[in-house]
Amino acid sequence: MSRSTTASAAGTISRRRLIGAAFATAGGTVAAPWLTGCTGSQEPGQGVASGGGETTGAVTWWDQFRPLTTLFEEELFAPFTAAHPGVTVERREMDGPSMGQALQLGRRSNQLPDVHSLAGLDGSPASLVGAGWFQPIDEFVDVEGSPVGELLLDGIHRFDGRVYTVPVFSSRWHDAIPWLNTELCERADVDPETSPGSWDAFRAALQQLRGAGGDDVHPMVIGAKDPSYLASLLNRLAQTAGAAGAVDPRTGEYAYASEPYLQAMEWLLSLQTDGLLHPSSASMDTRDARARWAAGEAAVYPWGPWFIGGLKVQEPEAVERGVGVWHIPTVDGSDPVLYSEPPGGTFWVSSQAQRAQLGAELMLRLVDPEFQRSLASAMDQPPVLTEVVADAEVHPTYRTNVEYMAADVRMAPVPQVRNPAVSAVLAEMGEVTPGLGQIVQAALTDGSSDWRSALTTFAEQMTAERERAIESVAGDGAEVGVEDWRFEDWTPGEDHQQ
Amino acid sequence: MSAPTRLPEAAAPPPAPAASRRRREPPLRWLRRNWWVYLFLLPTFLGYGAYTVYPLAASWWYAFLDWPGFAVRGEFVGLDNFTELLADDLFWNAFGNSLLFLVVAVPLRVGGALLLALLLNSRLTPLRGLFRTLIFLPVVTTGAVIGVVFTLILDAGGPVNAALVRLALLDSPVNFAANADTSLGAVIGVWVWKWLGITMIYWLAALQTIPPELGEAARVDRAGPWQEFRHVTLPLLVPFLVIITLIDMVGALNVFDLANTLTGGGPAYSSEVIEIFIYRTAFEATVPQLGYASAAAVLFGLLTIGLALGQALGVRAIRRRSLT
Repeated sequence: MSRSTTASAAGTISRRRLIGAAFATAGGTVAAPWLTGCTGSQEPGQGVASGGGETTGAVTWWDQFRPLTTLFEEELFAPFTAAHPGVTVERREMDGPSMGQALQLGRRSNQLPDVHSLAGLDGSPASLVGAGWFQPIDEFVDVEGSPVGELLLDGIHRFDGRVYTVPVFSSRWHDAIPWLNTELCERADVDPETSPGSWDAFRAALQQLRGAGGDDVHPMVIGAKDPSYLASLLNRLAQTAGAAGAVDPRTGEYAYASEPYLQAMEWLLSLQTDGLLHPSSASMDTRDARARWAAGEAAVYPWGPWFIGGLKVQEPEAVERGVGVWHIPTVDGSDPVLYSEPPGGTFWVSSQAQRAQLGAELMLRLVDPEFQRSLASAMDQPPVLTEVVADAEVHPTYRTNVEYMAADVRMAPVPQVRNPAVSAVLAEMGEVTPGLGQIVQAALTDGSSDWRSALTTFAEQMTAERERAIESVAGDGAEVGVEDWRFEDWTPGEDHQQ
Repeated sequence: MSAPTRLPEAAAPPPAPAASRRRREPPLRWLRRNWWVYLFLLPTFLGYGAYTVYPLAASWWYAFLDWPGFAVRGEFVGLDNFTELLADDLFWNAFGNSLLFLVVAVPLRVGGALLLALLLNSRLTPLRGLFRTLIFLPVVTTGAVIGVVFTLILDAGGPVNAALVRLALLDSPVNFAANADTSLGAVIGVWVWKWLGITMIYWLAALQTIPPELGEAARVDRAGPWQEFRHVTLPLLVPFLVIITLIDMVGALNVFDLANTLTGGGPAYSSEVIEIFIYRTAFEATVPQLGYASAAAVLFGLLTIGLALGQALGVRAIRRRSLT
């Protein structure tokens, strides 16, 4: 625009228009790229260097594994940067919910890190792959030839023939492991080495623990403020009563209203009625409950295999005091059989990565046997190469628990592995509320809650939502149906060969 | 149609000298001379535009989109989000909780603070300064911190339960913040306690505007303390009451930090206010729904606007009455 044109236009300018013009011009110039990023009007991934991206600079990495901070810095990032002059790693550790928000905002503003975990994103990885969140890593690294090459599965790590991620942690675990305060057990004359096999025996042990430490010590604590914890707890308890999971592989139907779920809920509520649960459980999330357990307020806390690793970082004195573990009890005292899906990918290379090649290389170092051994020593989730735990420097109770998990947990069938179109259905399915966790929470905190009806309604709503999603996805040309959740060849008590 | 009335030139008011000069001065020259005015205004324009106007406008636009949080952009769906919201029980549950919060908490805060202000305005009250400071202290403490601390104070093993059980007011401890029947009440109670101090300061300032002679005159006329308050103090405080209530009502619709840390909206949605509903829908759902959450925010915003308008009408009515 020439000066004369500007002058001519300005000849009729008013103060209000001038302010508006100044705002529009200056504000637009300064804020437009930022705002454009926020609204996502630029397609993420555009502008990324072709191929593996830049070969020097900072590889950005986001995860939620606080207990692994030192391990990552000293045994993953430091050797990597030493081997790659001019490369650094910038890691940001966040808790799960914060990370979910950061990832969503980062995605829309084209600011995702090169590598990140999926904490806080509850959608299925398949749906995220479908939405273009990640890029394949098999052109950058030899994934198939890695120690986990044989564990890669379609629909979990491989999509449309391309490998996107690798399993880092084993999935042969569950999150209702009874962790014990051995000091209180000994005081109550309860043997921390001998698991009470049945629900009744477990209740008897809790009753015995009631008098272990006076009025301020309670037999068991749960993180009942967290609905997702409660949902997992009920799922696992139902499996100890005979359920195969939330969806019964024999029928393909949701099992929330089945007898094992009803029995599990009744049993959990009876523990509360008998005064065996810490009375403040309902106001504790999982970390609060761990802290209260560590403070000696409860003898038993059912949680995941990462329990000792977290204690070592946050409450190490509780580990020194004594921590034990039991098998999860079953309704009739038989050996527990629980089901988990095969290990998924923990880390993914973002489609917005500026250094995808470096990110993929760094990621693959996670499954190096040496690093896996170090990973085991952090006592978080067991490493995917579980055999390294045997000679890793870990707490004996952690090792015992890994052995228990190997005996108790089986691999469940995964519908999306057999038919990748199932992933699209899962992505299409909306949230049904109140969910399982909220139903359990209501039952624990509201005496008038009709949880039986709520479970039946929840199962029906989930079924209806799945049918709607199947119809929607099938309408787009995918071949998928309810029968994809049905596995006639599934044998209870055995690892399902995907 | 009558011809427009034209004033004789002699009768027309002469143009103001400054306005005349500005009209004659070319705008660019005027801008060159006063550019610094706009330079100083620019940061405000930018900040206000980027952080207030833009999010406001964007949320209205997003409310018309089907936008799963995992997607880069949404798809226009018209009024579908609003239709779905109107049939969403959890939305109405949150809406109802927010309204209940408003109806219960604001009178408690306004009334309680007035009582405290009257007490601490009296020269007969000892240690007034100390008490004012103590009551104001929670105001400057972060809401999230208070939420976390009160989780411990109000839980079944906390000091409140211990005291109530010892005084035989409770048979067994109640987890106030984690009981479906008491959780919203717990949030209301803690919120009122936290913000009582600032409302008390407003009332103290209002009380300072009442000439002491009026009270003295009332006492000369043998008015008792209640009569003095009812017929002298209270009528003079009514205009302040309207403003203070408005401020507190707006505050009662912004309780996210405290409610989220104290109860997280639970158990089982029993204390979920509309802000937590919006947050949960936008960020914590299995598939986050930005458009749906924005629609809830828009409806919530309309509620706030309605309240503000109602308040404005109230102020106008009171002014009219005081003029007549």
